[in-house]
Amino acid sequence: MTSDHRIDSATLQRIASGVLPNQPWSAYQAAARSLDRIPWESIPEHLRTRVAMLGSFTLDPFVPVLRVEAARVGLWLEPYVAPYGQYVSELLDPNSGLYRFQPHVTFLAIDADVLWNQRWAETQPLKSEPVVGGLLTPLFAGLDVFDRAGSGILVMNDFVLPRLSSEGVNAFRSKGTFAHTVAHANKHLRLRLASRDDTFLFPLSDAVAQVGRAQAFNWRTHYRGHVTWSDPLMRDVAERYVGFALAAMGKATKCIVLDLDNTLWGGVLGEDGPAGIALGPQWPGSEFVDFQRELLDLQRQGILLALCSKNNESEVLAVLREHPSMLIREAHLAAYRINWEDKATNIRALARELNIGLDHMLLIDDSPHERTWVHDQIPELRVPDPPADPSMYAGWVGSLSSLMVLRQTAEDAQRTRQYQESRVREEYRGAVGSMEDFLRGLGLRVAIDHVEDESMSRVVQLLAKTNQFNLTTRRHDEATIRRQIASGAWRVYTMKVADRFGDFGLTGAAILEQEADAWHLESFLLSCRVIGKSVETALLARIAEDARAAGASALSAEFIDSGRNQVASALLPNHGFATSDDGRWHRPLDLPGPEWPAWISPAALHPTGAVLTNSEGHRDA
Amino acid sequence: MHDRDRIGRRVREVLAQVLDVPAKSIDQDFSATSSVAWTSLNHLMLISQLETEFDVVFSNQEIRELTSYTTIVDTLGRRLDSVA
Repeated sequence: MTSDHRIDSATLQRIASGVLPNQPWSAYQAAARSLDRIPWESIPEHLRTRVAMLGSFTLDPFVPVLRVEAARVGLWLEPYVAPYGQYVSELLDPNSGLYRFQPHVTFLAIDADVLWNQRWAETQPLKSEPVVGGLLTPLFAGLDVFDRAGSGILVMNDFVLPRLSSEGVNAFRSKGTFAHTVAHANKHLRLRLASRDDTFLFPLSDAVAQVGRAQAFNWRTHYRGHVTWSDPLMRDVAERYVGFALAAMGKATKCIVLDLDNTLWGGVLGEDGPAGIALGPQWPGSEFVDFQRELLDLQRQGILLALCSKNNESEVLAVLREHPSMLIREAHLAAYRINWEDKATNIRALARELNIGLDHMLLIDDSPHERTWVHDQIPELRVPDPPADPSMYAGWVGSLSSLMVLRQTAEDAQRTRQYQESRVREEYRGAVGSMEDFLRGLGLRVAIDHVEDESMSRVVQLLAKTNQFNLTTRRHDEATIRRQIASGAWRVYTMKVADRFGDFGLTGAAILEQEADAWHLESFLLSCRVIGKSVETALLARIAEDARAAGASALSAEFIDSGRNQVASALLPNHGFATSDDGRWHRPLDLPGPEWPAWISPAALHPTGAVLTNSEGHRDA
Repeated sequence: MHDRDRIGRRVREVLAQVLDVPAKSIDQDFSATSSVAWTSLNHLMLISQLETEFDVVFSNQEIRELTSYTTIVDTLGRRLDSVA
């Protein structure tokens, strides 16, 4: 492979597909070396994921497993492994290798041995408080430094009792046991990790249970060289870690497209009729109810559900509305295509309607024939193979690593409703003539503010997830933003948008870097939900006005082509910016404008939060 | 009597994967001193992969001595014969 060939996700996936689930660690080692042979410069920036690993045991053999599992989902993983046993000092020292590496994701892998070792330093009777405090106090101090450094997200596992205890049948009565110490440490760990948006608890206990505790740890390699995780546990943990990496890189699944017959219910609606399909409290049918419940758990986190099925629409709608055991109802669906067209065409139409990239969609379909055909037509679509037996569907969907939502905001909870509103809006678009007429008729209202504590997590989420209308695609975490605001270097604007069909929520953001006599657009983005509504002009108008008031003579900006943000490329030329020799775009402020669009009302936030009102204070009709 | 050639082929395959060397380059003289990739960590993983592949457990003494292709094949041949 030569360096002028840019590789893509499919190349990485091909290399990883050479390693099958039942193969030993050495197969991962060999595949990781194949990944090493890809020239660094041929790997596109947006696939390079910097992952740091800190551990209380030897993690080096885990690296090839994680790299191959990352490649399996199309990511190139650049690893950093902290020196053995240095996890606390690496976290505590702001100049450590960890922070210089600037990881997107940091995994902190700690085994319960660290508690065990403390235990033997104690005299009987064992007390859990000093043991837990002795370990967790320096660790939490390290996490504080991590939070301030603003180095992406950190994922730490819970403590797991590694083997059957010999503490006896009366152990449950006592607090002076190792089992109690582990539970006590986990409680404090959970509280600490939950207190920040950028730290996550990884349920290693789940992974161990899934593999089986007797198979999860390799005691021979543990004692010989501190390699504690067995081959199967390494594989299971790597698959789950990869979900965090995907989400941190803005590549998690945003929409699940569901087939119906033998996927959401048993049988074929068109042949068996609504009373004949398998869906209900008893088998056969109860397995599909449980599967639907899992899907709704994902929907509640903000992942969209859509239907794509070869059926008669009226018959399907009748089931959605009237079947007593159906859990997924119309209100849970962002969109659907129920007709006799081919599925690739329908899925492309769903992607257009929802304004979501096909690479952020995942198809669940029981038919191997449909899956193969659709995947051939749309290679970037995620098309996992469900188990052959529907009894396994509910457990399987939880194992899909791309279905991970790191930050759940108020907007997430509302997302399905917003897409339903947008469907009504699109029907209206079809009914009017010119674009300006369309915009005038929308009754757009926009509220622009500086970022506040309540809006911070949404801004971080937008920075992390927005791929299309994003001028520079810079991903910042909360700590970085807070630090830059505090230093006086940045102004962070937020924009909320609503129209007469509904409320889009916080869907725009801009970061301005104040330079000597110009304000520089460090970041500027719109959620895909408000593209094509001219609200970006309103945000730029407000920024220009503030900059003039502050005495700035120009706005400057740059457009960084990420390969996916073409929709943002016209922003600068359309608003009076011109290129200059330094490669940046400039817009002198002695020129008037940009003008606030006449069809957008400046709005203030209603005291209750979500609903936008006119600046006069009364609700728009 | 286990077939040394067959054992040799499987050992070569494991060595090639763990140490990232072409299987063809592994001859009778291949050893920890002749291979830079044969680090102490790779030695640990190599032993564990051989144990899984051949369903044996090596003693401490054996682990210290299994530092060349030839000793690995000889030791495995002896161990598998005594089981048979």
